[in-house]
Amino acid sequence: MNKSPRRRIMAAVGLMAGLVFLAGCAKDAPQDTWQPAGPNAEQIDNLQQPVFLVAGIVGIIVFLAVAFVVIRYRDRGQSIPEQTHGKPALEVTLTVIPVLILIGVAIPTAGTIFDLAKTDDTEMVINVTGQQWWWEYDYPSTGANAESYGVVDPIVTSGQLVIPENTKVLLRVTSRDVIHSYWIPKLNGKKDGVPGRVHLLRLEGSKPGIYAGQCTEFCGLSHAYMRMETVVLNRADFDAWVANQLKPYESPAEGTLAAEGESLFIQQCSRCHQVNGLTNADGAPIIAAPEQYMVSGAAPNLTHLMTRNTFAGAAWDLLTPECRDDVWNANTEEFGARYLAGVSAECLNQKDLREWLRNAPEKKPMYADPTKLQATDGKYRGMPALGLTEDQIDALVAYLLERK
Amino acid sequence: MITTSSKLFYGLGAGSLVASIVWFIANDGGSIGSVALLFAAMSLVFLGAIASFTRDGHVLSTDTASHASSGAAQRGVRNSIWPLGTAIAMGFVVVGLISSPGIFKVGIGLLIAMLGEWMIQNWSERGSSDAAYNTKIRDYVVHPLELPVGGALLLAVIVLSFSRIMLSLSHSAGPLVFAVAGAVILAFGTLVGFRRSVSTRVIGAICGVALTALAGVGVATALDGERPELTKAAEEDHFAHRPCGEEEEEADENASQSVSAKSSVQATVILEGGMLYAEVDGFEGAQQSITLQRSNPSTILFINRDAEPHRMVVKYGKVVEDLGGGVERETELEACTSKVEQDGQQAVTLTVPKPSYASEEPFEITVPGVEGTKIDLVVP
Ligand code: HEC
Ligand SMILES: [Cu+2]
Repeated sequence: MNKSPRRRIMAAVGLMAGLVFLAGCAKDAPQDTWQPAGPNAEQIDNLQQPVFLVAGIVGIIVFLAVAFVVIRYRDRGQSIPEQTHGKPALEVTLTVIPVLILIGVAIPTAGTIFDLAKTDDTEMVINVTGQQWWWEYDYPSTGANAESYGVVDPIVTSGQLVIPENTKVLLRVTSRDVIHSYWIPKLNGKKDGVPGRVHLLRLEGSKPGIYAGQCTEFCGLSHAYMRMETVVLNRADFDAWVANQLKPYESPAEGTLAAEGESLFIQQCSRCHQVNGLTNADGAPIIAAPEQYMVSGAAPNLTHLMTRNTFAGAAWDLLTPECRDDVWNANTEEFGARYLAGVSAECLNQKDLREWLRNAPEKKPMYADPTKLQATDGKYRGMPALGLTEDQIDALVAYLLERK
Repeated sequence: MITTSSKLFYGLGAGSLVASIVWFIANDGGSIGSVALLFAAMSLVFLGAIASFTRDGHVLSTDTASHASSGAAQRGVRNSIWPLGTAIAMGFVVVGLISSPGIFKVGIGLLIAMLGEWMIQNWSERGSSDAAYNTKIRDYVVHPLELPVGGALLLAVIVLSFSRIMLSLSHSAGPLVFAVAGAVILAFGTLVGFRRSVSTRVIGAICGVALTALAGVGVATALDGERPELTKAAEEDHFAHRPCGEEEEEADENASQSVSAKSSVQATVILEGGMLYAEVDGFEGAQQSITLQRSNPSTILFINRDAEPHRMVVKYGKVVEDLGGGVERETELEACTSKVEQDGQQAVTLTVPKPSYASEEPFEITVPGVEGTKIDLVVP
């Protein structure tokens, strides 16, 4: 059958519209603003639902009016109607009505903006620092953090932000290089991380679980791989998490593969990655020097790598798909325990972690090509390929598995 | 037919062709130069062909009617300043050759511009036998270039002259001159706006005089140099490093006492009643400890509520550089504000390279001359 081009365009538009409409029905939509999971996001949702309704009704009226005019007065060869200018009564009415609608929308909007900017009810403070292409979180060991939540020493972690349930957390968002933006759609709106500035973002989760997000300010080559997750734990589980993060370092047992991994780690990795408590043969603490190797001056702290279950900007899982499902789909009561279990040897996603160690820039494009380093004073924008052998990777994986 | 002028082109074309071949051989098959010369040869032969075709644009001596009406017989479009400009440009080039590359480059740029203008004017003068039309086609071609470039140059003269003047004026006279100049311009504009009858000539003349005066004073002040504080500060390198002691330094004298970007800082440190405390967004009340991320450019604001001028000093460890041969150089890392008077404020931006727990010396914020009070700096 030979369709006219007009018909085809109509069909294509219809199909697209249908797809977009159906996308709205996606069940597994971890970054859905319409499914708030905390009071801040709920407040936004409570505002946007009525605004959407008003806008929708106005939109439908406008569309119908346009359609009516287009069809009713279409060109049938009639002469051009009389042209008039100005009709004050109509013009005033058509100005006043939108103004009233906008005022009606503005009042609750302004209220919500101020509520979301409140900081005087903060119960916990976490610094959130973006860099190409991952997020670092550090928990200052002062104020309520230390007094009420047991953060007696600073905690530094990355990728997954862990917060206690029903707690008003204030994020102090900033960046070490370019502008990034922190957004966990189910918990609150987004906030830009701007170098040299500290922006405040409230975050509160009312149900234990993992809430996904991704950087929402284009920040360079691997922007699409710059993801993040917020993990909400109930209070007891959160306390256990804090205690574990503050646990002193334990060297692998002598003679094991992991011990071999430790010395390799010291040679190859500790110039960029801090592992708190790691010492030299002479007992001196090893302090990483990412400021010498990285454009951003930072690399993830790996002290407790295996307590998180994603890595490299939350772009890949540290858990195999089955184990991941066990954690993500656990019911509220079991979730905390499963999350705190961390990554076991059986559950480790060997494939992605090994690929990362083999050649990180191949997995996550990041200008870490050594031939292109002049432009950045020889500094990397991500983890470089280190030319490790498979045996070395075995040992490193064994070592990393113990970083819990 | 080989006419007089086409001979020139054909000859040059043949020469280029030969040169191209010679180049090719002399440079072992080096191609860029020979390709360029080959293209030159082709273009020249093409021009020669045009000259042949138009018989050099000659009007036959028997065709007396054409003697007055032919393009070549027309008056010039306007008085040409291009030969003069070209001469000046050549002067720049020559002077530049023996003095500085900057002048040479300006000369080359000027030379290209002058020759271009000259060429286009010549071309337009032969455009037709109608002088008005010739002017029009000239303007069509060059205005899109002349106007923006001219505008940019004009702007550059104004900005440069004015900035030189501002840099040489004293600290207190600067704002006054700025305000007065702005007011005068505004008043002049308003006046012209209301009195439509003022002719463009008058306005042009006034603007011209003002511009000349501005440029003149600008040049004079530029030769005279910047105001003493500035030259002194530059000589003593105050911009790079300020002594962070208790004494008052040269650089403290006229230091600014206010900060425009007060929001979104990492912390605000306040000296009040001889005690230091910090206000940190998100933390309730006065803090005695600040946590800064490592390797992160962080701004700390200092406010002095006490009567005596004071400065805030941030100490954040030291760096040890390996100078080779077993020699090491240690540099204490510290950053400070200038002296801040009562209720004044200043900000310091610093990037801490190493964590605080890795250092033997404490990371802390102090005020020299005020003992027994400090704020700890934690860098995880
Ligand atoms: C030149 C500095 C540098 C070196 C050396 C280096 N890394 Fe990395 N590494 C990075 C950076 C930067 C990232 C973050 C990259 C990203 O997510 O985009 C990273 C990420 C990682 C991650 C993911 C961490 C997380 O929390 O997301 C692991 C695991 C890792 N590196 C392991 C290693 C191991 C093992 C070695 C030694 C064999 C090593 N790295 C050597 C810079 C380095
Ligand atoms: Cu980003």
